[in-house]
Amino acid sequence: MSTRFPAAVADPPLVGRRRRRPLSLAGSWSAPYLLLVPASAVIAAVLAYPLYYMVRLSLEHYGLFQLVRHKGEWVGTANFAQIFHDPEFWHVVARTLAFTAACVSLTMVFGTLIALLLAELGSKMRLLVTAGLIFVWATPVVVAVDIWRWMVDYEFGVLNWLLTFLHVGNYNHHDWFVNPWSGWSVITALVVWGAIPFVAITLYAGLTQVPRELVEASSMDGAPAWRTFFDVTVPLMKPLFVILISLSIIWDFQAFTQIWIMLDGKPGPDYYVMSVYAYQNAFGQSEYGLGSAISLVTVGILLVVSFVYIREMVKIGELS
Amino acid sequence: MRRSRARKVGLNALALGVFGVMIFPVYWMVATGFKRGQDIFSDPPVWFPYHPTISNFTDAIHRAHFWASVKNSIVIAVAVVLLSMVLAFLAALAIAKFGFYGRRAFIVLIIAVQMIPLTALIIPIFLVLSKAGQVDKLSGVIVTYLTFVLPFTIWTLRGFMLGVPKDLEEASMVDGTTRFGAFVRVLLPLVGPGLVATSIFAFIQAWNEFIMAYVLLHSPENQTLTLWLANFSTSRGTAWGPLMAGATLTALPVVIFFIIVQRKIAFGLTAGAVRG
Amino acid sequence: MKARITAAVVLAVALAVAASTASGSTRQSTRKAAANEVVVWVMTDAQNGWPGALTAANNAFKAQHPGVDVNLQLQSWDSLLQKFDAALAAGSAPDVIELGNTQTTKYMAAGALSAIKAANYPNSKTWLAGLKSSCSYNGKLYCVPYYAGARAVIYRKDMYAAVGAKKAPTTYSQFLSTGTKLMKKFGKNPNFSAFYEPGQNWYVMMTFVKDWGGDIAVPQNGKWKAVFDSPKAVQALTAYKSMALKLSRATKTNDEAHPYPSIPFAKSRAAAFIGNGWEWPYVFDPKGGAAPKSFAAKMGAYPMPSHIKGRFMPTFLGGSDLAIPISAQHKSLGADWIKAFTGTASQKIIAKAGNIANTTTLANVNKNNPALAPFAKAAKYSWFIPTAPNWVNVEKANVLKAMGTALLTNKGSVKSVAHKYSQQVTKILNAKS
Repeated sequence: MSTRFPAAVADPPLVGRRRRRPLSLAGSWSAPYLLLVPASAVIAAVLAYPLYYMVRLSLEHYGLFQLVRHKGEWVGTANFAQIFHDPEFWHVVARTLAFTAACVSLTMVFGTLIALLLAELGSKMRLLVTAGLIFVWATPVVVAVDIWRWMVDYEFGVLNWLLTFLHVGNYNHHDWFVNPWSGWSVITALVVWGAIPFVAITLYAGLTQVPRELVEASSMDGAPAWRTFFDVTVPLMKPLFVILISLSIIWDFQAFTQIWIMLDGKPGPDYYVMSVYAYQNAFGQSEYGLGSAISLVTVGILLVVSFVYIREMVKIGELS
Repeated sequence: MRRSRARKVGLNALALGVFGVMIFPVYWMVATGFKRGQDIFSDPPVWFPYHPTISNFTDAIHRAHFWASVKNSIVIAVAVVLLSMVLAFLAALAIAKFGFYGRRAFIVLIIAVQMIPLTALIIPIFLVLSKAGQVDKLSGVIVTYLTFVLPFTIWTLRGFMLGVPKDLEEASMVDGTTRFGAFVRVLLPLVGPGLVATSIFAFIQAWNEFIMAYVLLHSPENQTLTLWLANFSTSRGTAWGPLMAGATLTALPVVIFFIIVQRKIAFGLTAGAVRG
Repeated sequence: MKARITAAVVLAVALAVAASTASGSTRQSTRKAAANEVVVWVMTDAQNGWPGALTAANNAFKAQHPGVDVNLQLQSWDSLLQKFDAALAAGSAPDVIELGNTQTTKYMAAGALSAIKAANYPNSKTWLAGLKSSCSYNGKLYCVPYYAGARAVIYRKDMYAAVGAKKAPTTYSQFLSTGTKLMKKFGKNPNFSAFYEPGQNWYVMMTFVKDWGGDIAVPQNGKWKAVFDSPKAVQALTAYKSMALKLSRATKTNDEAHPYPSIPFAKSRAAAFIGNGWEWPYVFDPKGGAAPKSFAAKMGAYPMPSHIKGRFMPTFLGGSDLAIPISAQHKSLGADWIKAFTGTASQKIIAKAGNIANTTTLANVNKNNPALAPFAKAAKYSWFIPTAPNWVNVEKANVLKAMGTALLTNKGSVKSVAHKYSQQVTKILNAKS
């Protein structure tokens, strides 16, 4: 599930620290637990067994033969050994990390720039740009990928025609996916395009909460715009940046639909990221044990990668 | 004066550029929905449907089970939105306003749950729901979507709650209301924007999801719109015109939902900025 | 404010309409798999291509079982096997499922399909051999042939005539020389191909291999070995590569479905291409080539000539079969539905829609149709994929498609490319299942 949405207000108040002293009145020690029950019950009901099942599958050989008979063949850590000894796996991990880094950084940079732009615009233009962002965000992901796939189509792609027309080069019958660098550029552009609205609108919301006085004071002191941005604005918006970056990492790391549909459901090994690699093994080869093992490894890597940010959030008092 | 005017023109030009680049693919989708077949695959491309036709739209609407799919998608999305708002509000209350053993663990848990790839859970979830007799039922899909939407909505609502000043709550309790009364009367309206925002998120997730719906819903009367869209692709090619028309129709309710609630967001923004 | 009200009104109206028109179906959506229902999974192709055959089958079935509903659930190829696997895992498979004829072996080997007796099904004595073999495993029969497709060359008679080819080529060297002349005459247009051959169209690539006497994979000592790096196969691949590079400007990184060659053909970007019979009407389909009716006068078809005199290159016999999963709830109802759908009445409709029926008794249905006759003719020489249980994994891993791209983009000599991908195929075929 990798869609974005605009959070209306920045997650914590941006100015000042607030010390949270949770109240706990006598007799209501059970209140929090009771409040948690409904949500926890739903999550547990749907996920508890599947999670256990996924872990168990990762320790079994579970092909089609086993699936029909509802009984897997215990192989212990053999699936993991197979994965870690497969050189392709490490390429896939590296590629996924690189792809995630590219998507997240581009999304944050462009999202921030557009948010700053929104803050500087008059209300009519701001409404226009916001409406555009919202339309982008409302388009179903599958359809958006279809459109992009068609825009870069070998035979009839609009982008090819446009680039040729603008004399950028001869893009007639240009195949964007022969060269993986070119292919990944297209996919990255698509993912970033879809991710920008959420980031831009959320950051803009955060910007509106930065007290004008502080910004004005800084620029009156003679600081250029970018200094004001980095010295005043960013520190105040730090929690928001942290949240957006960690969410983007989690979502982009697991990006699947864009890659799968862009390559018509048949990505070559150059286009494998962890989600595709897991899917190919699970459903493509009907190796559900192997696929589950890969998914577990994906979760592990994500936990490691986002650990830094989670720790940051704990430090700034977000989670305590 | 001139400098700031030039600056304004420059900014507006930039804004138009940003708008144009972002919106082009969406425009292309809508325009294609109105194009005749020969205009869709053409070289040079037909930029604007000068000979528009609504045949793609009528084709799409008259395909089997269109209205049933609309109804199913709406039922699922609305149910997910309402239920997630209630459940997430309660859970967020717990972790935002109370100190209790296991709170941090719960927070880390809901972050971690978001890291699990959905594709890995397709078959196990199908097995669980099948045992509960929830396959090919909208309720099974609703419960599944709730599971995936709750972690994020809880986390976000918690943030909104943390932003509400303590004094407001405490002030209202001095008036003699119970703690829960304080929550409902004071907190609920103030995190309104948060509820709106998370409801949009839940709506979109539920509306656009494909793979779980594909595996869980079998009868054609129980399909969602995203499944219905998939029927435009056969092994004999994709019906691009009707597909884009169908896609435009599918995106429409989301846009309408946005228009309805975007005022609330804007209001929430300014309200949140003003602190007494 | 106004926008908001308008939007709300629009949404409310839409909801009201939806609710009212859809209310009738709530009754059906809460029904469970009752004893009076047969669940059928067929592809959207049937609904889009030959809906009359479905109606005929449903009517025949209902006549035989008046109280039973046919719960027809249309599937898409992309995710069919995922859904099927999930259903098998939960023990809730449909009563009838359509599987591609390259997918059946895997499921037969895993014991997912129930064994059936040919004699119980119509026209079983005259079933197409190629399809029947895709339903046979270890001496037993596990599915019923549904339909097949053969490939032939669809071409522009006027363009061929413009370079002096008044009749269709009957030898491979004629085919090549006509193609070369076409490229000379029309090749200045960068979009033009004398023979439109996408790089990942492995069916044609392997057709060459078969024609030169090579093979894809053979059983050896209880295992499978891919052999398209044999000298004969390498010869064939070299011929294929040189033909494609000389005569085609189609994409090298995609297959014969992106786009369907009918579409560039309709735009005069191709003088010829190899395709299934249904690609002919697709040229005129507004969702496809959208060519005017008058275009038909310029079209013709011929079976791809072999490099061996007097023969055609063997065509890949694609197609689908219908099976009854082992965990189906109503096996005998499923069997009856299959009998109705593979009976002569429905098969005739399917054949007239541009396919090859499952029985040789209907081979001449399209004899007098100049568009479809060459395809039936081409089916005289056919080949099929190795009947290894893991074959469908080779397809899912897109190995042969990747090989086509590597071959045409010069990622090494023909021999080294063939060898590299043979090894991959061997590995997948022999993976533990």
